[in-house]
Amino acid sequence: MKKTSNDIDSELIKKAKEGNIGAFNFLMNKYYPRVYASLFSFTKSKEDSEDLAQQTFIKVWEQIQTFRGDSAFFTWVYRIAINLAKNFVSSSSYKKQRINTSIEHSDIEISSFADLESLVIHDQHMIKIKDFVSTLPESLKTAFTLREAEGKSYEEISIITNTPIGTVRSRIFRARESIIEYINTELLNNE
Amino acid sequence: MSDINEKISAFYDGELSAIEVDDLLNIIQKDKKLQKKLSSFSIIEMAINTDYKKSNSIDIFKNKKSSVFKNIWLTHSVTAAASVLLTLTFLNNTDFSRMNISSDSAEKIASAISSVEAQNMAKNSEEYLADHIMQVVNNPKYMQSKNPIDLKNIGYEKNIQDGYNFSKGNEHFQIRIEKRNFGLNKIRYWKHEKKMIYLIPLGDGRVITIYGKLSLKSAMNIADSLIN
Repeated sequence: MKKTSNDIDSELIKKAKEGNIGAFNFLMNKYYPRVYASLFSFTKSKEDSEDLAQQTFIKVWEQIQTFRGDSAFFTWVYRIAINLAKNFVSSSSYKKQRINTSIEHSDIEISSFADLESLVIHDQHMIKIKDFVSTLPESLKTAFTLREAEGKSYEEISIITNTPIGTVRSRIFRARESIIEYINTELLNNE
Repeated sequence: MSDINEKISAFYDGELSAIEVDDLLNIIQKDKKLQKKLSSFSIIEMAINTDYKKSNSIDIFKNKKSSVFKNIWLTHSVTAAASVLLTLTFLNNTDFSRMNISSDSAEKIASAISSVEAQNMAKNSEEYLADHIMQVVNNPKYMQSKNPIDLKNIGYEKNIQDGYNFSKGNEHFQIRIEKRNFGLNKIRYWKHEKKMIYLIPLGDGRVITIYGKLSLKSAMNIADSLIN
């Protein structure tokens, strides 16, 4: 049976609730760019967005036991982020609060990657990434697009393209690697 | 090393066996490069599934033919602050895709107006609006409106067994009516994957949300029929 993004998240959330920091770390790295992008659109400040994103995931870690799965995980995370942003706008003592909270939660490490953050706040970069996909070799582009844009499972892609599942997995991975290489050489080096 | 990267790619797609997951999580947790790779996958997903080309809002006041927009200024019970707000909501639409939000409208409003009341109203409106859209795209039950909406007069059949969908030909959608207007005085719409989300103020303080596969023109016809 095909797993949705929510199914994958549910498994990770369950593990995170049991104290599996690795599972939480995976969720955090998966959603950090989206949270950061949302916060940047709200604050228009890289520094504030990074602070708020870190604060968001500290709160998510603190409150993960209360997440009941009534909404998608990102919806819940997003609400936490926006509430923090709202408080931030109306509170000048935000930064002091952040430092105190960070010290108390040394058991989780919040990863942030400044170069990646710079990508998500520039629409033109995101458009270039999308455009680059169309230049991928046909076999990679087909497998990757079926997965990423159409949401097909590897098995479905295997049937559609008449290719073994292992090859599908490899093609999707190679497509991602090519895009990351393009990001690193063409976008991040041109900052 | 490329094997672990390929595993992360497969896990990101939910295609890794449960046996392999725990080991993978432990490895990623200790490796910043792998964490960065995971975030890169997420950014690629955002890039592929978000339409970053902004489209302009439709100025509903120019469409004199549609009764959706009759007397909208007169029927709003606006405060002085809200009046300031409403005159400034000439915003680009934002695009929501796979839970990604790129809204900058709250910031634009907040920076454009000086009234504290109007700023607060803007912030609240945008926050509720964002929450509402998130519910529309993420919570299937949210759009299962129990409102006795009847669109037979314009040719749409309702199928309760199929997620409260209305349909006609290739058009399939769900509809919901809000009693609050989110501060909207114009139609706003977003694309979410292959579906559209339309928010259409009815002029009496209510807003309808239509989510599905249909054109803007059809959405406006539907809104029109609901107030006639």
